[in-house]
Amino acid sequence: MAEPTVLTVSDLTVTYRGRGRVVTAVQDVSLSIAAGRCLGLVGESGSGKSTIGAAVQGIIAADGSAHATGRIAIAGRDLTPITDPAWAQVRGRDVTSVFQDPMRSLDPTMTIGRMLNRYTGSAEASVAALERVQIRRAGEVLKKYPHQLSGGMRQRVMIALALAPQPRLLVADEPTTALDVSVQAEVLSVLREAIEGAGCAVLFVTHDLGVARHMCDDIAVMKDGLVVETGPAGDVIARPEDAYTQRLMASRITLTTDRMRPVGAPEPAVVASMRDVLSEQGRPDEGVADAWGAGDLEWERFMGRTAAVGAASGLTDVRLVEHVTRPSLAVNEVDKTYWSRVKGRKVGNHVLTNVSFEIGYREAVALVGESGSGKSTLLRIAAGIEKPDTGSVDSQGVAGEGTQVIFQDAGASLTPWRTVEELLRERIEHTTTGAGMSRAQMRALALSTLELVGLDESVLAARPTQLSGGQQQRVAIARAVVVPPSVLLCDEPTSALDVSVACSVLNLINLLRHSLGISVMFVTHDLAAARLIADRVLVMTGGEIVETVGAERLAQDITTDYGRRLVDAVLA
Amino acid sequence: MLVFVAKRLGSLAVVLFFLTLLVFTLGKVADSDPVRTYVGVNASAEAVEAAREELGLDNPIPVQFGSFVAGAVQGDFGISLSSKRPIADELSTRLPATLELAGWALALTVVIGVSLASLYSRPGRFGAFMRFVFFSAASAPSFLIAMLSVLVFYKWLDGALPAAGRSSYGPYEDATGFYVLDGILHGSPTYTWDAIQHLLLPALAAAVGSGVALARVLADGISSSLGSPWARTARALGEREGTVLRRHALRNASSPALSLLAVQAGFMVSSLVVVEQVFSWNGLGSYLSGAIGVGDFPAIAAVCLILGAVYVILNTLVDVALAAVDPRVRLS
Repeated sequence: MAEPTVLTVSDLTVTYRGRGRVVTAVQDVSLSIAAGRCLGLVGESGSGKSTIGAAVQGIIAADGSAHATGRIAIAGRDLTPITDPAWAQVRGRDVTSVFQDPMRSLDPTMTIGRMLNRYTGSAEASVAALERVQIRRAGEVLKKYPHQLSGGMRQRVMIALALAPQPRLLVADEPTTALDVSVQAEVLSVLREAIEGAGCAVLFVTHDLGVARHMCDDIAVMKDGLVVETGPAGDVIARPEDAYTQRLMASRITLTTDRMRPVGAPEPAVVASMRDVLSEQGRPDEGVADAWGAGDLEWERFMGRTAAVGAASGLTDVRLVEHVTRPSLAVNEVDKTYWSRVKGRKVGNHVLTNVSFEIGYREAVALVGESGSGKSTLLRIAAGIEKPDTGSVDSQGVAGEGTQVIFQDAGASLTPWRTVEELLRERIEHTTTGAGMSRAQMRALALSTLELVGLDESVLAARPTQLSGGQQQRVAIARAVVVPPSVLLCDEPTSALDVSVACSVLNLINLLRHSLGISVMFVTHDLAAARLIADRVLVMTGGEIVETVGAERLAQDITTDYGRRLVDAVLA
Repeated sequence: MLVFVAKRLGSLAVVLFFLTLLVFTLGKVADSDPVRTYVGVNASAEAVEAAREELGLDNPIPVQFGSFVAGAVQGDFGISLSSKRPIADELSTRLPATLELAGWALALTVVIGVSLASLYSRPGRFGAFMRFVFFSAASAPSFLIAMLSVLVFYKWLDGALPAAGRSSYGPYEDATGFYVLDGILHGSPTYTWDAIQHLLLPALAAAVGSGVALARVLADGISSSLGSPWARTARALGEREGTVLRRHALRNASSPALSLLAVQAGFMVSSLVVVEQVFSWNGLGSYLSGAIGVGDFPAIAAVCLILGAVYVILNTLVDVALAAVDPRVRLS
């Protein structure tokens, strides 16, 4: 290797002690990065990747809760993880970092200039530093406070700050995860150019294989504190050898993923739900798991009685409803403006302008757009949580009862002091289906729904805080479908989840839609997920629907500039 | 910023108007006849009538209120019913006394708050012990602390600090009435030092409670600031803990502390009434308790108005300080 090695980690093991338990976050990890190279540390939450990111900066809390063995060498200097006073010489000089949350990672009381000048030495050098991260009018930005900048701008400032001391090693911990997709692509290319200019080594921590491929020369895949596979990025992505890496790769959703079949590797919980669906319809199992694994399990197979009703209506292709006779959800010419006071004057923020669309029986429609495009407001209006200024919403579908919402943050949408059984009963009690039910009947219904989403009886008595993020999201889905709604409204249900969990949630929504005949409105900024779930994709920007595209050939058929930008932002 | 300050001053006028109305109404509904207080219990009916006319109490109530407001605006609060002297004259020496004490008490609050806050966030047994001391001190009423401090510093330590009055020497002629300032203006270190010694105990008694409360809020703010993502950013850029604290955490933690200080200033005004009694401090507080005792409503009204104005002005200052500390308040 021509370039000198900047970072060497040898046999690093980190354990945390808390609440009487000892958790091994990182076990016997060894890696090295040469100058000018970018190593991607890829893994799901809890894999230990962020712990390594913190360890190589020496910022693991030294309060006795963490214990570490092994060696870390940075720019030729040997360091003991955690306790070494020499970290003070290294941190901020040889190693700096860019963090995930650009909203809160900059001191809110300081101007960008005051922050940056300290590390660049002068205002002129700060301007140059900002120009290196492609910020125009850098002089003005220096006078601003963090809250006056957008997320993408703040993250550029973060990058400028991190590169200002001319470090040998840059640690980037999920630097774009909190950003909008199209901004993400921009910031990544800024970061890439900036680090190429700086010539430093980069440790890039991410859960997103697409981002890793875009950014990194080499990739190390982590699972449960162990590195399971390392190699050049192209090799790991194209020919993964480890079973876990293969699963991770299979869980990736792109604009060419097969929409007719479940995505990812067969997952026991989803397979169990599929068996339930089939047995309820009085049909044999037919080796669902094997069929899925072999790639010839189509969603068609789960079409139940309700589908037969649809088919009886004379439509040949039930899933692509061309002529909506009785839409499950009709939104007619909806306008919405939020008013606020700025300096005593009333200022209107026009969120939605003359929005109309319909969702047919068993149809799934995705709304895509960036934050601020009005898509979440539209969802709240469709759900009846908010009232439109003008226009109307009709959600009297043929099948199911009312509308139900699955929110992005499932943990926050579940009342923390209620048990899962109480949460599900709450929904059942408020429907006509559940009105005459006894406690025992409701319990049985709750239980069968939990099985449908891949959870077992033990969850009934649990409270949301005792469940993992993926389990919480499943409970939220179970609550939404325990009495099948006419329309299921999903607000970014997968964006906070790990890829494998996101995959099973998407599979679950698809399964429920096909077996229960529910219509789905899927709000997301992720075009690939939108395409997977929906039959039609509505592109929203500035409070208007600018384009409606069929999902299958989305990438080819999308025509508006804005839509094309979203397509380009999907990092394949 | 100027508009911001102007707006706050405008609301100050409104608040004071309603305070005046409230105080005036209280005087009218209270079960005591101001004329009787003025002329005495044994005065003849003619004397009572004459006094009523002299005090302007024969006019309709709206007219009375109008002249009350007109007088108050010019600093004329009428005549004290008990001493029969203009209230403004009586207050001219007492107002500086109270303002001086309040100023020192506020300064001590900040000193106690900041220094205790730095002890408070220490981990381990020492921190736990300090938290215990804090709670004890914060739950003690100011008069108890006042009497305890007299006991310790005056009695047991044999008069280490004076426990009564404002000065051993008496006021200068043509002075500001702020003794420490007067001493400095007249170039007398002895006089200044004496005034400071007299100030220490009453200011401490008034400051302990609010200082402890301030320390708590400040310490909480600092510890959450130190755990915030931007503090992590600063550390990753190589800043040492002390720098993170001084450069980043203190300023971010000071917003809630400033808000609390504004509320504490209000409590301090009321605790001064008691503290002035204990230390025979000839300020507004002792004047007020004297006036309440004899039902001297014009005097009560005057003191209430002045204390109210001081409180509102302090709050305005805190709001301005908040805007200066936090750009999100200023620029949003």
